Order: sequence, then C-alpha cells, then structure tokens
Amino acid sequence: YIHRCQASHSEEEFNWLLKEEVHAVLKQLQDILKEASRRFSIPTPGLENLEGFIHLIILTLSPSVPQIQDARNHVNQALQLLSGRDESYHFKTGAEVNKLMDAVMLQLTRARNRLTTPAAMTLPELATSGLMKMFTPPMPGDVMVNFYINLSKLCLTVYQLHAMQPNTTKNFRPSGSSVLHNPGAMFELNNAKFEVSQVHKVECVVPWLNNTLIFFTISLQLCQQLKDKISVFSSFWNYRPF
Amino acid sequence: MSGNSLVLPIVLWGRTAPTHCISSLLVMDDLTTIITGCHDGQICIWDMTSDLEISPRAMLFGHTASITCLSKASPCSDKQYIVSASESGEMCLWDVNDGRCIEFTKLACAHTGIQFYQFTVGTQRECRLLCNGHYPEILVVDATSLEVLYSLVSKISPDWISSMSIIHSHRTQGSLLHALLCNTVLCYTILPYIMLCYTMLYNTTIYYAMLYYTILPYIMLYYAIQYYHILSLPADSELLICPPVTRFFYGRREPFHKLLVQGDSAGRLSLWSIPDTSPLQPLSTAVSSTISLQEAFDKLAPLSAGIIDQLSVTPGSEEPIKVTASVYIPSQGRLVCGREDGSIILVPATQTAIVQLLQGEHMLRRGEGGGSGECGSGESVGQGRVWVRGHGSGGVMSQALSLAPLWALQNRVQHCVCSVASDHSVGLLSLRERKCIMLASRHLFPIQVIKWRPCDDYLVVGCSDGSVYVWQMDTDVGVLDVVGFPFVIPCHINSAKRETSSLSTALFSANLTCKYLYEHKMQQLRHKLNKILRLCVSQGNLQKYSNNSLVVQAMKTNLTDPDMHVLFFDVESVIIQLLTEEAQRPNPTLVSPETLQKAQGAADKGGSFLANKIFKQVKETMKETIKEHLLDEDEEEEEEMRRREEKSKSLSLLEYNLTMDTAKLFMSCLHAWGLNGPLDEVCLSRLGMLKPHCPISFGLISRGGHMSLMLPTFKMALATGRKLSLSEIGGKGTYGVSRAVTTQHLLSVISLANTLMGMTNATFVGEHMKKAPVRPPRPGTPETPKKSAAPPQVSSPAVQGQIKQGNYKRIFSLGAVLGEPLMYRAGSKRCEEAAQALLLAELRRIGQSGRKDTIDLWAPYLPQYVDQVSSRKSTPCVCVSFLRLTVCGYTLYNISGLSVTFIFYSQPPSELPFLYLL
Repeated sequence: YIHRCQASHSEEEFNWLLKEEVHAVLKQLQDILKEASRRFSIPTPGLENLEGFIHLIILTLSPSVPQIQDARNHVNQALQLLSGRDESYHFKTGAEVNKLMDAVMLQLTRARNRLTTPAAMTLPELATSGLMKMFTPPMPGDVMVNFYINLSKLCLTVYQLHAMQPNTTKNFRPSGSSVLHNPGAMFELNNAKFEVSQVHKVECVVPWLNNTLIFFTISLQLCQQLKDKISVFSSFWNYRPF
Repeated sequence: MSGNSLVLPIVLWGRTAPTHCISSLLVMDDLTTIITGCHDGQICIWDMTSDLEISPRAMLFGHTASITCLSKASPCSDKQYIVSASESGEMCLWDVNDGRCIEFTKLACAHTGIQFYQFTVGTQRECRLLCNGHYPEILVVDATSLEVLYSLVSKISPDWISSMSIIHSHRTQGSLLHALLCNTVLCYTILPYIMLCYTMLYNTTIYYAMLYYTILPYIMLYYAIQYYHILSLPADSELLICPPVTRFFYGRREPFHKLLVQGDSAGRLSLWSIPDTSPLQPLSTAVSSTISLQEAFDKLAPLSAGIIDQLSVTPGSEEPIKVTASVYIPSQGRLVCGREDGSIILVPATQTAIVQLLQGEHMLRRGEGGGSGECGSGESVGQGRVWVRGHGSGGVMSQALSLAPLWALQNRVQHCVCSVASDHSVGLLSLRERKCIMLASRHLFPIQVIKWRPCDDYLVVGCSDGSVYVWQMDTDVGVLDVVGFPFVIPCHINSAKRETSSLSTALFSANLTCKYLYEHKMQQLRHKLNKILRLCVSQGNLQKYSNNSLVVQAMKTNLTDPDMHVLFFDVESVIIQLLTEEAQRPNPTLVSPETLQKAQGAADKGGSFLANKIFKQVKETMKETIKEHLLDEDEEEEEEMRRREEKSKSLSLLEYNLTMDTAKLFMSCLHAWGLNGPLDEVCLSRLGMLKPHCPISFGLISRGGHMSLMLPTFKMALATGRKLSLSEIGGKGTYGVSRAVTTQHLLSVISLANTLMGMTNATFVGEHMKKAPVRPPRPGTPETPKKSAAPPQVSSPAVQGQIKQGNYKRIFSLGAVLGEPLMYRAGSKRCEEAAQALLLAELRRIGQSGRKDTIDLWAPYLPQYVDQVSSRKSTPCVCVSFLRLTVCGYTLYNISGLSVTFIFYSQPPSELPFLYLL
C-alpha cells in the first residue's frame, strides 16, 4: 500500500515538474541567454568609458573575429530552441525535456568553447584571412595582425616579418598551426619566404566577455539540474518509460 | 579493431530495437533505398520495394555526434555513394550497397547542408559537394576524396548560411564557380516556424517548395507554382520527443513516385505517395506505408537474440531483463553483464553466444530461463553467476551505467569493479568484500571518462562539460579539483571504437593526465595525450598473438538503451592460436610438426621466408604460452601483475577449450548451410558444427573504425509470412548480402578450414572438447535427438584426424568453388587458367556437375571485383595483415601431402585480396 501511495504521489510530483517547473526553468534560461545575447549586440549610446569603447571595437571587428559571431549564432540557436516551447506547450514526457535540454546544452557548450579556445592558425592561413583584409589602407607587407579572444581577454598579436633571401643558407622549415607564433617561425606565401622577427602581444580584459562566460556556465548547470530532476523520477519508477 | 586485419563482427541485437531518433532523411534516386541519420550518430539503411514496403537493412556506425545532413555523392546508380555529416564536423562517404566507409574526414565546424553537384570539364565528369553550416562560407568539397577544394565567401557581411539551393540552367554550362555565382540563392535567415526547402529538377520545369510549419501540423507543397497540396499530418499517435523530419522526394525513373517521407523520434518512417492529378485540393492523409524499427524487430520469428537471453527471461514475464552495462574479460573469455535490476552476471562468452545463435543440444534451454540468473553454482552452458546484487549505496546509486574492471591496483582496490551512477558519482565496488569501498560524488555533470593511475591510486574523472576531477582512491578525497577548463580528454568513450587493449591505453593516458595536470601545461597535454593514444592504439594492433581471437564488445546507440553485443572474430588470431595449441600438443604422431618442418624446408628453398616467419612467430608464441599456461599476457604489464593473474587463474573455472569453442562458433556461423546437403550432414555429425537458428547479423569493419552492422530484419523482404528455409538462413541468407561481406566470409572460411585441416584434433566433437564440464542432462528432459543420431565416436585420434581432414577439405573446396568465379572476373589470364586447372584437380571429389550447379546457383550472389575504389589516401592493403603472410605475397601450406600456394593480390588498393590456388 505504501508503495502504491508513493507511486501516485511521485506521479503527481512528476506532472507538476513537467507542467510548472520545466517552464519556470526554461523561462529562467531564456532570461539569462537573452542577457548574454544582448551583450553581443551594439551597445546603447554613451561610450564615454574605455570599456564601452572596447566593446564597440570588438563588435565592429566581429565579422573578422569569427569567435564572436559563432558564439552569438550558437546562443541565438539555443534561444530559438527554447522559444519553440513556450508556456502554452505541454511537455508529455521527461524524455522530451531531456532532448530539448541536450540540444540547448550542445549549443551552449559550443558557444562557450568558441570563446575559450581561439583557433590555431598557420601563418599563411593568417595572412590570407579576413583579418588582414579589413584594413584600409592595407597593412604594410611586413606586418601581420591577429585578433582573437581567449576566455575574457581580447588579444592582439602583431608579427613583424622579414623576407628571407631566396638563396639563403638557413634551412627553411615552415611552422605549424598555433595560436601564438614565436619569433623565428617561418612560412611561405606566394613563393616568397618569410620569417617572423618580432612578436608583440597586447591583451585587454573585457568584463562583459567574462560575464557572458559566467552566464553560459550558469545556464549549462541549470540545464543539467533539470535533467537530473527528471532522472530522479526515472530511477524511482525503476525504468518505466517516463 | 582497425580495418587492416580480417575481423568479422557478428551482432546480437536483442529484442529491443536500438533508439533511432531520426534527424535527417534521404531517398536514393532509384527509390529502392531510404537512408536515415539519427541524433545519436548512427545511419540506418532501409530497403523499399516498388509497392512501398519498407524494411530496415543495416546500421552504420562511426559518427560520434548527431547526423546533421545526408546527401547522395555519386551521379549514377551503379555506384551508390552517400555522404553524411555530423554535428562534430565529421564527414563520411559510404557505399550504400555494403555499408563500407570509403572516405572520412573531420573539420572544425559542422555542416548543416550538403548538395551534390556534377559538371563536366571537357570530357571529364567532376563531382563536387557544396557544404554550408556553422561557418560563413560555402565549402566546395571533392566528392571522392572529401578534400576541401576552395570556399565561396560573401564580401558583404558574411554570416552562417542556413540554406542553399542550386538552380540548374541550360544557358550556363560554365565552370562550377560561375554556375554558383549566377544561380545560387542564399538564404541568410530562416523564419522560426516555417521551414522552407525547395529544389529544382533536371530538365523539367517542375520544382517544388515545401513549407513545413513546426507548430501547425500542416505541410504545403507547391508544384511549379500552378498547383499545390496541403497535407494535414495525423496527430501524434505515439509520444514524440522532438519534431519529426519531413522531406519530399521525386523519383527520376520508374516507378516515378512522388514521396513525402517523414521520420520521427521513435525510429518510425512514414511514406505518403502523392498522386499527380489532384491540383488545388487538400490531399487525403492516408499513409502509404509506415514502419518503425521496433515494429520490424517485433515481427521477427524467432525474435532477435540478446547475449544472455537464456538467463534473463524470468518465468513471470515475457521480456528479458535488460543488460545495462557489460565488460568482456578476454583472458578468461568471460562476459560480465550488469542488468537493470542491479544484478551482475558472469557468463562464458562463446558458450552463451553458441546458445543464442546456433541450434544444438542446448536448444531446450533457449528462452526458457535458467532460473532468472539466480544460479550460483553451475558454470555449464548457458548459466552464469550473480556476483553483486543491488549494489546501490543508500539508494543513491541505482543505475550502473558502465563497468570497468580495475586491475593492477592496491591490494584492496584490486578486486574492484568501477561503477558510475545516475547521480554522477563513481563507486568502487569490491567483489571480495561485497561492498562499496569508495564513493566519489560531487560531480555536477555526467561522467564521460574514468582513468586511473595505478602507482599513486589516483582516479581521474572527466565530465561532459569538460571539467576534470582527480580523486585519491584510498582516502576518498578529491585531491585536486580542476573544474571548468575547456578540454575533454581526447579518448572517445564511443564504444564502437574502443580498443581491446583498453587497460594499457588507460594506464598510459591516466599517467600522463596526472603528470601534466600537475604541471598545468594544458596545451602540451592535449598534444601528448593524442600522441600517446595513437601509440597505444597501434600497440594494441600489434598484440596480435594474445588471446584476442574473440572480443565481445557491448554497444548501445543511446545511453538509455539496453546493451547489444558485437562479437569480433579476429580470423588471424584464431588461426595463430589454433596453430599454437596444436604445436604444444605432446603427441608425436601429429601432422603439425611435419607441416612446420615442411614449411621450413620450403623456406630454405628460398621460396618463402614467410612460412619461416610464421613458424618463428608460432614458436615464440608457444614459448610464451607455455610459460603463461595458456593465459594471455600483455607484454607491457608488470611482473607483479603476472603473478597476480596467475594466482587468479587458479580461482577461475576456465576448463573448456576456449580456442576450439571460438573456432566452432565461428565456423558454424560462416559455413554456407543449405547449399550442399551431404556436406551439411558431415559438418553436423562429424565436425560438430551447429546450424544457426536464424539469419545471423554480420557486420563489416571498414576504414578508421567505421562499421556497418546488419539488422536482424535484413531478410524481411525475403520472408514475407513464411518460415525461412535453411538455405536462406545460412548460405544464401548471409552470402547474398553484399560483395565485401561475402569476400571476407569466403576468405575466413577458407583460411580457417585450411588451418583446421592441418590439425589433429580439429573436430568439435570428441574428448578434447569435453575438458569442459559437460552439463549433466536435466532429469526429466528428453535426450536430444542430435545425440542419438550422432555417429559412433572414432576413438583413435589418428583415424579421427584423417576423417576430419577430408571433411575440412570439402568445406575448403566449397569455399574455393565459391571463390572461383571471383577469379574469372579478376583479371590476369594466366593466373586464371592455372587456378582453373588446379581447382579442377582439387575438386574432383565434388564432381564436375556438382561444381557447376553450385556455381550456377551462386552466380547472382557472388562478388564483383572489377570496380575500382577511388580513394586518395593510401589504404593498408588487407593482405598485409591477413595471416601475416606478407612481404612476397605467397606462402606454402601443406594440405595432406598436396602443396598449395596462396597468392595474395591487392591490386585495387582498398579491396580485399584475391585468393588463388596454384
């Protein structure tokens, strides 16, 4: 009898979870992600401080810093997934919620990873990338620039190049792909050989990026907690389809 | 499990169909095949008849994430290639006919759409794949090598492209680039509730647009703007967990169906055939055809077998208790199965597989349940032991998701099983003390990887969000928490790719993980780990001669599924082991020393140092094996481990002949039953082989660990309502499936039969098999008819040996006959003639007419070896590893006085070698 009683209680509880709690969590998630996505859009006027200025720089750079664009797209996809299941939608199974959470978490993890791991590029890749083409007037031939985001930092790397003599005795070894190349790295571009003579690196902490990362982490934890809540019932019912 | 050795998978699917939550769909141009990709990364191939009956045929494994798109990748119908892309950026080119992976690659970004495009440059046809996805460009990829040739970028505000369409025009026959620039429509945005896709057909003015409302259950089709259909889809009959995928396909040749295909999360495919003549009106929604994977499984008779069904069907219920986790112990040949009720069962793997797959004296036991697995005493066929029951600690851990045996640890931890619970905690359960000795909880995300470092007793736990926890095992204290840094240990938990030598791999990477975690050199860590893993994998491949002739790998497509089991037979390893054991036998009248001597003699003649090589290897293995008392050993493992294992051996009840059992199972599965009546009889009575219950689901391992597994329903179209005849179950059934599979089977049968021919005790009935504790006949159960029909046992091993040699010769011949037409087609005239002449001599026993009949009977099923596989990356040719007979390509075998030379060719680089008899 006790067992039956428990079962009916837990069923009621589970229905409450599907009807009320899930939507509450989804609402919370949406709010957080909207906040995060707002940061990727152009800020309101009032750029008196340095932070706002850097913000603007990043956003104008964003087609060239693909990390920002990708992260924004991933967040938007997550938001789109969530908006498809508003309050009017009635979740019928826990598996349905799990599936939605999996999809959202995938997008969020992608977005987070995009910001935390800058792409490793070879020097020729960098030379032909959009970053170098966005300058008007174009950069001088012996300078290369790389912008990327690493966690909450905006990094700017400037490579000073010097062309190698075609008949040099120095043996030529092209360097592989890396986030940051060291002086002495060599590469070949358009049949000309170059060597990196100097590297300058500037970093700048961007607070809103840091906040965005925190939002991602919180959202991921919320998703996982919701999944865990559902799994409690599944284990309670001993593998009944839930 | 790499593709360069001859490894044959056999699948035990169990009664529950794998989860197949369809994420993408493709209907091939000739409307005979439907391909579906699912969220868990598998691809299912469905056969479709002309009256729209569908049945699932095979499942392709290899992607590690959700399939995002599928596209055809070859222009004409003789080569049916498809390309698939996954969420994690993988791209794979498959042959639809046999499920072989032809090429694969991985990019950093995921593709969400692929379109096939073909054009001509001069007289040359070029095929390209145009890909769009999570990147702001269109990648143009070569359709055969999957190399990115170039990319198309928009100058104005490049962003992700969500959809693309190629519009063919007769006027622009220029280059691909030109065609693209002029005729491509790029959609940068997509409305949240309407999915729009449209395509235009060759040479017709018909095009269609499909609007699919994700909220409203309507689909609208526009044809050539003049007329349209509105389809209201039926209300969900079963509970779906995500929106279904719907696509429209138009047949380009007979029977010209217009099909609307829908695949949903329950693995169900529904087809609507749309008539041509109903413009401007809503269409009736009668489904033309629908089937789900589970329905297809349920229709089977007998039901598809699971690995321990005989123990898991409780008397009260119909359904077996599901196996939720399992681990195979190769050195003992045993399988540890954790079930959903919390019990763990230990079974001898080959024997349980024999029970499930083959007919025999154990038939009575099948499916009737040997006492719900409570049996603690018997180790006989089809029985197992319950080790730990209900290991939940305080009700927290209710679900053992994965089990991994921990060897080589501290005394106390030594006899432990590691289990992961659904609350993301790790528990070490002692088998000796029968309790949980360590519980590591506090993980916030599901656990993906567990590694350990034996010398320091560290347990490293990797979670799905990329965080890593390091636990000290004896103190229960998390000594180092590194949470939230973004890397996942690059060892995929994907079980399909897991190596057999997972222990050494684990040791290595755990070592490294710990070391580098301390130094905090994450960048280097990733590189090092990758390198070491690769190293371990290659080492795993090198350990050919350890006891890994049979490996049982548990797999599940989805975490919530019960385990299904794949038996991997390593043919080469079976043969080596048979030879080793043969050489160890103290009987001086054996054939094998002669064989070996002769082989050596042949080597002296300078003809083959391969034979010499194999002889040496056998000798080495012999030495090793004698030392280790038939126990498999890892060379890298430490001395103390050996001692321990030897100690544990005394505890083990392993007394049956593992190798012979494996060979028996293997030969029984592979033999072409039902083609040659008398031979079947001989196989049954003299050789002790057993007939299979039902068509056996084989598989095919191709490059890079990609694998195709036949679903048990692959013969559904054949068996419409009637019972399968034996020949359909056996010979025709499995041999008719695909060319690559047939070749592998023939090669295996021939080589194995050949090996067994050279052995004295190579029959599966007789004294030496009885080392195994013979199950006493149950009181009350009638004696099986098989036993009474069995011929009187031949007592003298020599006589017995001769008989069986002759018999194996016949199996061998059958294999050779089947292989012969393969030579007709293969090429070189001279070889052909020689092979033909010698085959005629060799096959005199069977007789000309009989031989001809067989060939006639088999002609439609036989492989064609003329097609070239264009693949730019070099493939290790199969013959190199096959039997290790490499280098100069042939070797000498002695088959009862007749010397036979095998020559291995591997002309088309990725095809299997041709086998000639000279």
